[in-house]
Formats: sequence, structure tokens, C-alpha cells
Amino acid sequence: MDGERINSCLALAIQYEGREILTIEGLTTSGKLHPLQEAFIDQDGFQCGYCTPGQICSAVGMLAEFGQGAPSALTKDGVANGELTEAEVRERMSGNLCRCGAYVGIREAIQHVYRRQIYGGQAR
Amino acid sequence: MNNFTYLRATDVSSAVSLIAANSSQDAAARFLAGGTNLVDLMREGVEKTHALVDITRAPLSDVQELPHGGVRVGALVRNSHLAGHPLIRDRYSLLSQAILNGASAQLRNMATTGGNIMQRTRCYYFYDTASRCNKRAAGSGCDAIEGFNRIHAILGTSPHCIATHPSDMCVALAALDAIVNVMGPSGERSLPFSEVHRLPGNDPQMDTNLQPGELITSVDLPASAARLSSVYRKVRDRASYAFALVSVAAAIKIDNGVIQEVRLALGGVAHKPWRATIAEQLLRGVAPTSENFVKAAAAELAPAIPRRGNAFKPELAKRTITSVLSELTAKEGAGQ
Repeated sequence: MDGERINSCLALAIQYEGREILTIEGLTTSGKLHPLQEAFIDQDGFQCGYCTPGQICSAVGMLAEFGQGAPSALTKDGVANGELTEAEVRERMSGNLCRCGAYVGIREAIQHVYRRQIYGGQAR
Repeated sequence: MNNFTYLRATDVSSAVSLIAANSSQDAAARFLAGGTNLVDLMREGVEKTHALVDITRAPLSDVQELPHGGVRVGALVRNSHLAGHPLIRDRYSLLSQAILNGASAQLRNMATTGGNIMQRTRCYYFYDTASRCNKRAAGSGCDAIEGFNRIHAILGTSPHCIATHPSDMCVALAALDAIVNVMGPSGERSLPFSEVHRLPGNDPQMDTNLQPGELITSVDLPASAARLSSVYRKVRDRASYAFALVSVAAAIKIDNGVIQEVRLALGGVAHKPWRATIAEQLLRGVAPTSENFVKAAAAELAPAIPRRGNAFKPELAKRTITSVLSELTAKEGAGQ
């Protein structure tokens, strides 16, 4: 919502009249998957797929928040932006549950896209 | 199906008058902000208001410095923005830490300062409309006292209610001696944070001392609480995105081997954020030794009434208090 991730299940639609809403359907541009969507496929980031739209939308928001220096519970005082470690991904994505337990693949997909954003082109 | 009217207010005075105009003795209209708790309660059939007044377009989203070194936080400042705000991270890191330990990132993006204070308990029986709950339906009884009560209160309980206040943010605000400013039909007033939330007593249906129709407009953080050496520690059933079993907000100032100032508040143990005044009193003026920490924590928890499901809580609270105070003492020592 206006570039920030929120829980749609708790959003009373009329409150958001006139605001910009981006859902999973809007991530694909002219038939081309968003890098996170591709990464979820490549890294086995899902099994049943039920939580996948939420995971991907949340990850898009999370990467933007991280890039803007938003702190998490793991962020040490004064350092709002370091490396997006495995622990940081887990903490920052803890609001999205996956009952299949595809967490390892989800985390790898997110870190894969993060590294590509930071280091460009080839993922490490 | 519960039908309700949705109204919008774009400033504080019209919000207050819309609530008054749409409320009667037995049917109250509700202020709607982030909605993370209220919308959920309406979906669950726990809250059945006939009218919502959406206040999110009112100008209450600023964080400003107060003249004497304090900070005023608007009631609509969202939790994520507050936790990341440079003034808060610099002067009140305890508050920032507490907020970031609560909920999830997407919830913190929605939830507001005022709404966090006004959120209701997450007692399972309060949420389950098939259960007896004195908070939801006054006089119906309490199924928590003999039921599943792992997350429930051990301090300040009553025979009518053992619910906890679920907030992390509020535990920090209690320790920081925040002031809550409200506007109501009869004007403005300010409440010390310790007087905002109530103990259940005979009226557990009332969470706070706000009068009907009163709206929180801002929260003031006093200059005297700025830049204290502080820690917020939360103990829970999983590492993230879970309510506290016990949490501790603590700040300490040590001079010449003696505790000059100490602030201690607990979450997850009571119907309100619990300021540990007994422990604070015992700690002021004594040496910061683990013996003194253990003694103070034991005195604070002495009145605890644990239940079958939360018999571990008094000991957990004592150990967490002791551990946090030791951590702070080591930090203070390293800084000097």
C-alpha cells in the first residue's frame, strides 16, 4: 500500500480509498515475472503455494524497507543498514508463515535477489 | 452479519464530535486508526460497534521535539516509523527496541501509537465468543482461570479476569514515564502512563481510564528519560512474531558503584504494563550486584499468583529481570 507492505486481511478496504495498492498480480510486467517470482521458482520457495503471493509481496516490501535503512529487532543501535544476513531475513519475514515449511527455499530466493540487486548481474 | 456505518474525520475536534453524535448510553461508536486489532475483533464478532470513525486522515502523524528536550509523538505515527525515527533511536532506544520486538513488520506498518495503547487482550477466551469472559460480556464468568492460561497474568489479577495487556511498546512507555494526551467531549487532559491502563478488579470490561469518547492525540516522552542506558528483552515461545511470556524494559544509571536511577517495567505478566516499583525502590542507592538484583526481583514477584498453565512465569520473570540488570550493569561499566 503506497509502497509499504501491510496485511490485507486486516485492511478495511474503504480506509484505503485513493491509495496505491500493489498485489501479486501487479508484479508481473508485460508477461515477465518479477525477479522474486523467478527466484521462488528457481530456489524451491514453495510447496502448496498458498502463502506464496503473501511471501513474495512481503519480500518486495522487505527489500525496499531494508534498502531505506529501516531497522529490525536485530539491528544494532546506529547501524540501520548492513548486510542482509540470514538472521535478518528470518526476523524481517517472520510475519509470513508457511505451513509446508518451505522457509529455507524462501530465504534463499530472497537472498538471491538481494545479492543480485547489490552486486549486480551474476548472483554469487 | 453486523452492519455498521463508516465515517471519516479529518481533524481531532470533528472526530470527537462524530463519536459523541453517534454514541448512546449502550452503543458506542469507535475510533478506527490502523485497524490491526479493531478490524480483527469485528471479524471475530467480539466487537460489534454500529459506527466507525476513521481518524487516519487527521493530522496526528508528527514526531516533534518538545522545548525542554522531550519528544511528542502523534497518535497516528505508525509503529514502524516511530521505531525507525532518528529522534527515537537516538534518545529513546528502549522504545525503538520494544516496538521492533512486537508483531511483524507488516503489522507495524499499519499499527499506530494510539492504537497500540488501546489494543485489547489476546486472551483466547476473550476472542472465543462461545467461552465465558467477563471482559467481553460483563458478569458471564472467566474460563481462563481454570483453562489454558500459559499467556495469562500473574500480578494484579482479580477473581474475574487474568488477561494480560499484549503490547511491547507500552512496556517501554511505562518505563519511560510517558504522558498520554487525550481530547474528549469535555476538552483536553493528560494522563501519566501508569494511569492509562487499569487492573481488572471488579470491572475487567474496562481496559483503560479513558472516558467514553476520548481520543488519544499524542504521547509525550519526557526529557528526564532520554539517553538512558537501556535494554528491552522479550521471552516468548518462538524467536519472532509471538506475544511475550515475559518481557522486561529496564534502564539504569550507576555512579560510584551505586545505582542512582533505575526504571523497570514488565510485560506479559499483568492486565497493564507492570511498572516494578517494589524492585526499583529496593535497587535505588544500593550496589549493582547480582545478589541485590535477585532480592529486588524476588520482592517484586512475591505477590504473584500463578495458575496451572503459567506456574513458570514468576521464576522466568525473576531470572529475566536479574539477567537484564546484569547486562545493563556490564554495559554501564564498559561505557565508563
